[in-house]
Amino acid sequence: MSMVSAGASQIGRSLPRLEGRAKVTGRAEYVHNLRLPGMLYGKIFRSTVAHGRIRRIDTAAARALPGVFRVVTGEDICKVIPNPYYGPAFHDQPILALDKVYHVGQPVAAVLAADPHVAEQAVQLIVAEYDELPAVYDEVEAVTSKAVVHDELKPAGAFADLKHLQGRKNTNVALDYHLRRGDAEGALAQADHVFEHEFRTQQVMHTPLEPFVSVAEPRENGITIHSASQGPSFVRVEIARLLGWPENKVRIKVPYLGGGFGGKLYIKLEALVAALALIARRPVKIALTMEEQFYQITKHAATLRIKSGVSKDGRITARKCEVWWNGGAFADVGPRVTQKSGFSACGPYDVDNVHIDSYALYTNLPPAGALRGFGIPQLCWAYESHTDMMARALKLDPIEFRRRNLLRDGRPQATGTLVHDTPLEKILDRLAVRLNWGAPFDRGNGTVRRGRGVAIGFKAVISPTTSMAIVNVSADGSATVYVGTVDMGQGSDTAMAQLAGEVLNLPAESITVVHSDTDVTPYDMGTLGSRSLYHMGHAVKTAAEEALAKLRALAREVGLPEGTNVPVAELFRRKYGMQAGNVIGTGSFVPSYTPPEPGTGLTTNVTPFWMAGGAGCELEVDTETGHVRLIKLVNVADAGRQINPRIVETQLSGASIMQLGFTMSERMDFEAGQMTNASLADYKIPGLHDLPRVIENEAVESYEPSGPFGAKGVGETATFAVSPAIANGIEDAVGVRLMQLPLTPEAVYRALRAAHGTPLGEE
Amino acid sequence: MIPFELAEPRSLKEAISLLDGADETVRPIAGGTALMLMMKAGVFHPTRLIALRYVAGANAIELAGDKTLRLGALATLGALERTKGLRDAFPVIAQTLRTLSNVRVRNVATIGGNLAHADPHMDLPPVLAALGAQVTVAGPNCERTVAVENLFAGYYETVLARNELIAQVSVPPLGSKRAAYVKVTTRSADDWPALGVAVVIDAEGRNVRRADVFVSAATEKPTRLKAAEAALRGAEADETNLKRAGEAAASEVETMADPQGSASYKKELVRVFVARAVRKALGLGDAQGRAG
Ligand SMILES: Cc1cc2nc3c(=O)[nH]c(=O)nc-3n(C[C@H](O)[C@H](O)[C@H](O)COP(=O)(O)OP(=O)(O)OC[C@H]3O[C@@H](n4cnc5c(N)ncnc54)[C@H](O)[C@@H]3O)c2cc1C
Repeated sequence: MSMVSAGASQIGRSLPRLEGRAKVTGRAEYVHNLRLPGMLYGKIFRSTVAHGRIRRIDTAAARALPGVFRVVTGEDICKVIPNPYYGPAFHDQPILALDKVYHVGQPVAAVLAADPHVAEQAVQLIVAEYDELPAVYDEVEAVTSKAVVHDELKPAGAFADLKHLQGRKNTNVALDYHLRRGDAEGALAQADHVFEHEFRTQQVMHTPLEPFVSVAEPRENGITIHSASQGPSFVRVEIARLLGWPENKVRIKVPYLGGGFGGKLYIKLEALVAALALIARRPVKIALTMEEQFYQITKHAATLRIKSGVSKDGRITARKCEVWWNGGAFADVGPRVTQKSGFSACGPYDVDNVHIDSYALYTNLPPAGALRGFGIPQLCWAYESHTDMMARALKLDPIEFRRRNLLRDGRPQATGTLVHDTPLEKILDRLAVRLNWGAPFDRGNGTVRRGRGVAIGFKAVISPTTSMAIVNVSADGSATVYVGTVDMGQGSDTAMAQLAGEVLNLPAESITVVHSDTDVTPYDMGTLGSRSLYHMGHAVKTAAEEALAKLRALAREVGLPEGTNVPVAELFRRKYGMQAGNVIGTGSFVPSYTPPEPGTGLTTNVTPFWMAGGAGCELEVDTETGHVRLIKLVNVADAGRQINPRIVETQLSGASIMQLGFTMSERMDFEAGQMTNASLADYKIPGLHDLPRVIENEAVESYEPSGPFGAKGVGETATFAVSPAIANGIEDAVGVRLMQLPLTPEAVYRALRAAHGTPLGEE
Repeated sequence: MIPFELAEPRSLKEAISLLDGADETVRPIAGGTALMLMMKAGVFHPTRLIALRYVAGANAIELAGDKTLRLGALATLGALERTKGLRDAFPVIAQTLRTLSNVRVRNVATIGGNLAHADPHMDLPPVLAALGAQVTVAGPNCERTVAVENLFAGYYETVLARNELIAQVSVPPLGSKRAAYVKVTTRSADDWPALGVAVVIDAEGRNVRRADVFVSAATEKPTRLKAAEAALRGAEADETNLKRAGEAAASEVETMADPQGSASYKKELVRVFVARAVRKALGLGDAQGRAG
């Protein structure tokens, strides 16, 4: 039995992206381009204070503006959604502010008008008065601060491990996660050397070039939401919960995304447009400006304290990590970051005695969530800077020191889960080769000094999560794959087609991928954390295998012998008398998982697979100005078996460039909770001229036995190690150590001056 | 956006008559690249904009036989960049334009708007000031000439009255002098500069007869550094004297803090980059003007 035979394997093909042509010719669908008959535009009036009780919202002038359809406040929302609080971990975020505001930029009211310019103008006519409350901005201060962001913690029902926080008062700690393995205190006391350092990272933004956008369309019997969302299934569940409707009355449709990076997960604008559409009884669209994105969701700033005991022979015997995550005003998925990444705070090292405390904090800043790496880049910044500092102090080669301590397959990670199929050492070896580590290195002279650095990190894919898929073989033998995975630029449609094509023996480009319409595509937990290729990939493979089995059964049914080469179309013709019917295979996947023990955080099965990535760089520092110029950046990663090597490479280079921005220039600046650089003119992402002359990307030979055709995820891997590799390179070049991101020329220059005993004045 | 009147005069005279000396919500608009951003950000709400783009002949560019450069205020930066002979006559302008925003902006942004906007982070004002350029200012009753050096009154402020327009910019020939502009960015390459240094040097080999040194971006307006100029006058551009010029520059300059850097850091940048700009102009040191 054969269809249009693929001939060659679909796995390992560098197939160009299926949607590439539509995108570059401007034909791909985006929510920004969607206009519905009778649609109103919503514009948001935002809080100007960081923490306050709302005394009065005066919307009269806005309402009186010709062309304004309606002005909506939090109280109006309550009429359609009586309990309008949402959030994946805590139900702490109101659709529009009710009695209190928690951060500058929080939505307080919305104006609806047929003309977005009128709505925008009306927003400027709204006046709100607040009784300001004491506010807290720093994550460490938030632990003990008298200013308390939320009066009471409201964990969402979904997570069993948050139940004990229900109703807790007088605290900014949204979650505290603890891991205790061995006896860290004891081992530290006995260690030959003890090192302790504190690192910080700054708050940054995802900066998808397509800002957040959602459209809600009330229907006779339900509601349709078109949204640039990475997690349509979650959005459906949450909107259904808010409205008190069954899931099948809520339809979430997602076309392509212009980037997401973890920002477009969970509820963002969807609840607001849904409420507004139900109030107005007309379709409502809200599209944020680039500037407004800074108030929607960000990446956690963090303070990380790390202490290690090292033996005479350079083995790390104990490690104590304390991490404070600045979650901003709403928890979003921060508590997950705190826990699911917190447990790898110790890094990819084999340490017998580990003590981790990881805290999710509320503060009065814009909320923080997941951003490409889910906390790992912050952790890796700390532990890999720390690693280099120790190697330097111990006069050990940094690569050799790492090699001595790396986790090997079969050894337990801090949680007790055995590491498997994670080629950490191979990555380190390849970094050394690509940097020509053993050879003499030109260190520059005069005012230009050269250095190099490496770093390595790893991440456990978040677990347990669920994916479902449908594969439909039509009567002519062509195939369609239905998945909730959102292709936001990472190439998932192409990869899913390759997986299905491999099973069905069809060329991937002949397969149609229908994605993300909750009335059509089955459940998926979300396109996040590099989970889709593995989880959805499994579901697609299983669904395709089921379809294939059904085709074989069909062949038997129409009287054909096993292994027949009669075309699929002929099977359908024989069965149904004409080109009719179809065969449907379904697949679902959820990996096995053992929850950590509450007291110790230990478990034997914390994740189905680990993703490892390293970075190395060569750079030069201008000692007169502190300018750092990257000459070469090397990313080496473990992607399991590569389904599409070209896409793997672009994921690696893209992720590393994104992290380069977070390392060198990006920083949200605040004064008393007010962001002072909320525009791309003053918040600088890297441009082409900021890239290193050479970026090398390599995915090492690797195979994940539990993955579909040996694959594992790769979307975040090249973010992990970039920041510490560069800081390590700077110290190598000029002997100064930066403990805080970003590594701006001024920061480097100040460190140089401080090292010379002539510190630069602060003004 | 609140509706406003858009006037499209055909002559300079008509344009001036539509301006209003007393009303700050009436403004000329040229390329709109700066003004539209202010409108989008809600910091400027016009009642009337006078579009200058249809003013006849206002975009003329002339590079005269004696190498004087005359620019109509409406000449776009892109057209200037593509002017025949510019690279030979004013290599420093050609080079400055290459890293001034991007080709899309340069194709609409005008020289008049670039000067009148008076954002101290702009690249051309210090260059034109150092080159001794002058602007012709047209008002309701008369025309006057103002040196670019004296055009700026402060942060985002010029000496223009509300009913005056920049009509023309004229740059005297560079002759045998040599010039350089150094744009120092501290975040991304396409960021606004933390410091701009423009130098025009009259020298015999390394022996400086006269130097015009202007800094911008670190200061609230393009600023001549007299002490640095004095340190260079009649001096050989060797490392000792360049260092002295840098020291002089750093001690006289009043820097301001902004997201590109603190005031004290910018002072250090001035110290270093005045010397680098001189080296760059004279072809000493490496391509960035760093000591060899
Ligand atoms: C993305 C981007 C990047 C940029 N990067 C750089 C950069 O790297 N370096 C740099 O130097 N600049 C940069 N700019 C700024 C750009 O150079 C200026 O916006 C431009 O030169 C202004 O010219 P315009 O014709 O567009 O002025 P407009 O926006 O039309 O006007 C600016 C101001 O000048 C007034 N005006 C205009 N013409 C006249 C006139 N003839 N007489 C009197 N007043 C007048 C207007 O009323 C207004 O107040 C950038 C701009 C953008 C948008």
